[in-house]
Amino acid sequence: MTLLDTMETLCCLDGVSGREDEVRDYILERAMPFADEIRTDPMGNLMIFKKGDRPRTAPVMLCAHMDEVGLMVTGVTAEGYLRFDTIGGIDRRVLIGKRVYVGPMRVKGVVGSKAFHLTTAEQRRTLPEIESMYIDIGAPDKAAAEAQVSLGDTVAFEDGATRFGDGYIRAKAIDDRAGCAVMLELIESRLSCDCWFAFTVQEEVGCRGAAVAARSIQPQTALILEGTTAADIPGVEGVARTCALGQGVVIPFMDKGTIYHKGLYQDLTRLAEENGIPWQTKTRIAGGTDASAIQRADTGVQVAALSVPVRNIHSPACVAKESECQDQYKLARLFLQYLAE
Amino acid sequence: MELIELTKLLCALPGPSGSEEAVYRRCAEYLRPLSDEITTDPLGSLRAIRRCGRPNAKMLMLDAHIDEIGFVVTGVKEGFLSFDTLGGVDARMLPAREVKVLTDPPVYGVIDTMPPHLLAPGEDGKTIPAEKLYIDIGMTQEAAEKAVPIGTPAVYVGGCDELGEGQLCGKSLDDRTCAAIIMKVYEDLKDKPLPFDICCQLSTQEEVGRRGAAVAAWDMEPDVALVVDVTHAKTPDGPEALTEGLHGPAIGVGPNLNRAVTEGLFRTAEARGITHQTEPLPGDSGTNAAAIQISRQGVATGLVSLPLKYMHTPVETVWIDDMTAIRALLTAYIEEADL
Repeated sequence: MTLLDTMETLCCLDGVSGREDEVRDYILERAMPFADEIRTDPMGNLMIFKKGDRPRTAPVMLCAHMDEVGLMVTGVTAEGYLRFDTIGGIDRRVLIGKRVYVGPMRVKGVVGSKAFHLTTAEQRRTLPEIESMYIDIGAPDKAAAEAQVSLGDTVAFEDGATRFGDGYIRAKAIDDRAGCAVMLELIESRLSCDCWFAFTVQEEVGCRGAAVAARSIQPQTALILEGTTAADIPGVEGVARTCALGQGVVIPFMDKGTIYHKGLYQDLTRLAEENGIPWQTKTRIAGGTDASAIQRADTGVQVAALSVPVRNIHSPACVAKESECQDQYKLARLFLQYLAE
Repeated sequence: MELIELTKLLCALPGPSGSEEAVYRRCAEYLRPLSDEITTDPLGSLRAIRRCGRPNAKMLMLDAHIDEIGFVVTGVKEGFLSFDTLGGVDARMLPAREVKVLTDPPVYGVIDTMPPHLLAPGEDGKTIPAEKLYIDIGMTQEAAEKAVPIGTPAVYVGGCDELGEGQLCGKSLDDRTCAAIIMKVYEDLKDKPLPFDICCQLSTQEEVGRRGAAVAAWDMEPDVALVVDVTHAKTPDGPEALTEGLHGPAIGVGPNLNRAVTEGLFRTAEARGITHQTEPLPGDSGTNAAAIQISRQGVATGLVSLPLKYMHTPVETVWIDDMTAIRALLTAYIEEADL
């Protein structure tokens, strides 16, 4: 399986924050034969240790989160429609008229809203509030809906992935199945040095899994593999673009949650330069990663991140560039080699 | 082919207003063995006709439109496609939306959206107008210019499939559901000797102003026309006074519609025990009935509508039982009709 096939497979699994089971099961099954130690914890993090050519006394931790943004069922109307709230940060403009799957039975649904012919001009200019949107599962009444879904059920965007254009891919949950795919591929390969791989839960609701995983692994160094917001579309100019597809893997110096370790930042940029791997940094201090929680775990951890630029992040139609996923893998691999030397 | 299978097949085809050829071809293939004549006109509507053989026979027309709302590419900027809309597109549906650009072969694209953290204060939750959005086809400017000529139309991806208990959900159910229904009605009547000619008209360009039906009806010169289209069904956030799903055909009542034909539809529904509902239409019905009624010296026109939720979105939703009830009503009405 290629890296992109792995990523595509992972993107098509459902793992809304707090319900990462499907993703974890898949990763565990594939990683098991290659693991030297496997840990889980009450949060649901999956931590895999794999020996490399060189032992390391100060642990190195690679980290990617398994969870994705989604919705939660908060009510059922008398007519059988579902009320919902968001899990993680979702711009309500990407919700209306989208297909979703609800709960453990994966009940098919669509996010409904009255036809625009029936709205006032003012209503058309603004998206309805989340409270007035609903999910239509085609149930004739409340009892029929309640037979299939329960309050608290998580709701995932429709799965499926499309490769298009000059090496682009569209899928839900590229944030952060891209990172999960890279780690899985690394686990299945020969490593230069010992390494812990933390597949974390609940990043999208406040990096809650990573904090716990870091305490379990107690790394000296952590590298976070992520997907990050790209705003490289017409109408957005200069630094506001944040990062751009096709410009290389993102090595951030800072985001809203973390000032990354200066030495590691320099190491990574140098490794990229020396090996001809295109890289860029984020030109806007936006977003955050599990690094924020890992950096401040216990007595502190030196952290760095490698991110794949993603358009329409936190939507059913995230867009990433295949070459940048490959570069994220290559650079993570070089980083482990560098640590082994 | 059964009604639902036919509906799914038609919905999966692209047919934005002005580019209905793919739908036309599939429908023509289906209707040819059932017809004496298949004709078209400069606007591309399909008219399948079965003659009764009588001299100076009158004609009953069934009409549904085969076009769908969509987009048209207006330019290429940094490899992204700018576009305008074909028909009444709801701009709120567009961010992070997959589309099919109808080059040959088609090009896949995603309508990109600005990340929320870049919005100016007060812009949160505001609809982004279509002219500020772009289709991302993953190409450079040069490649995109070569691949997609300006003027190329596009549609939402996908077709339709089942939702919940007995509902169908997807793109272009407006009005392919009704196109499928009238094709089945036309087929149901194939061995039934009728005292008039019957025309199954699948018209183009309804979504941009009923242009196809206007010229096609002029050409066909029917005596009676039954227009079949979708109408708004009640949803939790919509107005109270709308049609309801599972309440059967919505028979339109109002000045746009001929009273004798309308009363005949009600009589047939009642005689056959077909659950139905009344749709009061005080003015223009907003359907091809408005164009056909005033064709030539006037056409006695009736309107039967299928309740549909989320009109003009990629998740339009109808109830299958309502579709079969409309098929039954139309077939029964025509069997007994006396033009």
